[in-house]
Amino acid sequence: MPSPNDVITATDLKKSFTSRRGLVEAVRGVSISVERGEIFGFLGPNGAGKTTTLRMLTTLLPIDSGSATVSGFDVAREPQAVRAHTGFVSQLGGADPFATGIENLLLQGRLYGHHKREVIKRSDELMDILDLREFAMRKVITYSGGQRRRLDIALGIVHQPDVLFLDEPTTGLDPQNRANLWEHIGALRDRGTTVFLTTHYLEEADALCDRLVIMDHGKVVIGGTPKELKHQVAGDAVVLTLRDHTPEEVAELAKRESYVRESSIDNPTTLRLYVEDGPTALPPLLRLLDGAGIALVAMSLSEPTLDDVFLNQTGRSLRDTGDSGSSPQPQKVN
Amino acid sequence: MAVTAPVQKAARDTLLLTHRRLVQTVRNPLWLAVSFSTPVLYLALFTPLLKGVMGGHPTNAQVLAVFLPGILALLAFVNGSSMGFSTIFELQSGLIERFRVTPASRLAILLGPILSGLIGMYVFDTVVLIAGWAFGYRIHWAGLLVLAILVALLMTMFGAFSIAIALVAKEISSFAALINGINLPLLLLAGVLLPISYGPTWLQVLAHLNPLYYLVEAARTLGRGAVITGSVGIAFAVLIPLTVASLAWATGVFRRAVA
Repeated sequence: MPSPNDVITATDLKKSFTSRRGLVEAVRGVSISVERGEIFGFLGPNGAGKTTTLRMLTTLLPIDSGSATVSGFDVAREPQAVRAHTGFVSQLGGADPFATGIENLLLQGRLYGHHKREVIKRSDELMDILDLREFAMRKVITYSGGQRRRLDIALGIVHQPDVLFLDEPTTGLDPQNRANLWEHIGALRDRGTTVFLTTHYLEEADALCDRLVIMDHGKVVIGGTPKELKHQVAGDAVVLTLRDHTPEEVAELAKRESYVRESSIDNPTTLRLYVEDGPTALPPLLRLLDGAGIALVAMSLSEPTLDDVFLNQTGRSLRDTGDSGSSPQPQKVN
Repeated sequence: MAVTAPVQKAARDTLLLTHRRLVQTVRNPLWLAVSFSTPVLYLALFTPLLKGVMGGHPTNAQVLAVFLPGILALLAFVNGSSMGFSTIFELQSGLIERFRVTPASRLAILLGPILSGLIGMYVFDTVVLIAGWAFGYRIHWAGLLVLAILVALLMTMFGAFSIAIALVAKEISSFAALINGINLPLLLLAGVLLPISYGPTWLQVLAHLNPLYYLVEAARTLGRGAVITGSVGIAFAVLIPLTVASLAWATGVFRRAVA
C-alpha cells in the first residue's frame, strides 16, 4: 500500500519485447514500494526482468502497462521531473573514457541544469565522498575497475538526487573492491539517499539491502528484509552426511518431528533438514538418530541463505541459474 | 539555481555536448592528421590525373575549378556519413544512456555531435581551399559562402542519417556493412571526381535520385562564382526538405530505438 514515506511506487508494471522468437514478456506485473532512505534490492538471476524494471522506473524505457511514481512524480507523464530527481548508473557505467574524471562530472552536472560554479563545488565534495581525488585529473581510460565504478556512481549523484538506481553495481569487481563499494553505497544511504539496486549476488543482497524482493521470470516472488525472508521461509539447516542409510529413509523419520519443517537431498549421502531454530533442534535430533541406529559421518549447522529462500520459492537454486548450470542441483522433496 | 526555460536549456545542452565532442576530436592527433591529409592528397594526386582526362591542355586553375568544389562536397558527405561510428562507440560505452538519463534535451544529444562535426568540416574545407589556392585555384567568395550553407545541409542530413542507422544497428560490424553499402553507390553516382555528364543516359538518370549529385552540381557552378543558377536553386530545394526529414527521422529513432 502506498504510504507518504514511499519514494518509489510501482503498480503492476509490465513490459514485453518482440524478438525473433516471438513475444518476450520481460516484466509481467511488478508491484513494489520503496521507502525513503533505505537500500532496496532486486535479487534474481540474469533475465529475471530486474534491469528492464529499472529502465522503466528511470524513464529510459516506455512502460507497456501499469504505473509508477518516483519522488512523487509519475514516470510516464512527468519524465523530466523524474530525471531531475533520480540518478541512474547502468551496468556499462557511462563515463567517457577519453575525458578526465572531473570533466565527466562537470558535464553531467551541467546537463542536469546546474551552473558551472555549483557543479565544481559539488564535484569537489564527491571527490571526498567517493575517494576520487587521487585520480580525478586523469583520463578515465587509465582507471582500475574499482576507480571507474566509483566515478560512475559519482556521475549518478552529481545532482544530489533523492533516489539512486544502481544496475548490478559490483559485477566484474574483485571481492576487495566489492566490499569497498558496499561501504560507499551504505554511506550514501546514511546521507539520506534512497538506493535501489539490482544484483544477482546473494551476499550483496544480504549484506547491503535493508529490504529486497526476489524476482524470477518477470515477477516478484517474495519480498521483505533479508532476515525476515530467511527466517520465514527457510529456517536454519542441519546438514547430515549419512554412512549407511539413504537420505530418503532418514528424511521420512525426521519429518515426523515437530521442529523439522522441510528437507532436501543434496546428494546420495547428504540430507539437509530445515528447522526453526538450529541450536535447540540439535539435541533432540541427535537423540532421535541415535535411537534409530542411524550412523553419521558428519553433521553441521548452517544459517539460512537467500539462496535457500530462492530455492524454496522457485524450486531452483540461484547459484545454478544463468551461466553456471553445472553444479549439482539440490532436489526438493517435502 | 537551475536553468529553466526549455529552449534556453536545449541550446545550452547543445553547446555543452558540441564542446565535449570538439575537445575529444582535438585530443586525437592521429585522427586529425589523417583527416587533414586526405583532402590534400586528393588534390595533389587527382589534379594531374584529371588534367589528362579532361582533354585539351587545361591549366591547374581550370581543372581545380571543376574538381575542388567536388572535394568540398565529398568532405561533407564523408564527414556526415561516418558520424555513426562514434555513435556506436558511445552507445556501447553507455555514454548515450548516461546522457538520456538526465533531463538534457533529446535533440541536443543528437545535435551536439553534428555541430561539432560541422565545425571540424569547415576547418578541413579551409585547408583544402588554401592548398587549392596554392595550386592555382581562383577563389570566388560569394559562391563559397553559399556553398558553405549547402555543404552544412548535406553534412547534417547524412550525419543524422548515419547516427540513426548506428542506433538501429547497435554494433560496429553491421553498421559498417550498412553504411558502406549505402555510401558506395552514392559516391559513384555523384560525379564527385568526374562530372556525371561524361556517362551514359541511364547513369545520369540514376544520379538524379542521389542527393549528393545535386550538391556536386551546385558546387561546380558556385566554385566558378556563379551564385544565381538553376543548379543552386535545385540543390536548396532538394537538400532543405531532406535535411529536415533526416533530422526528424533520427530524433524519432533516438526516442524509440535506444533500448
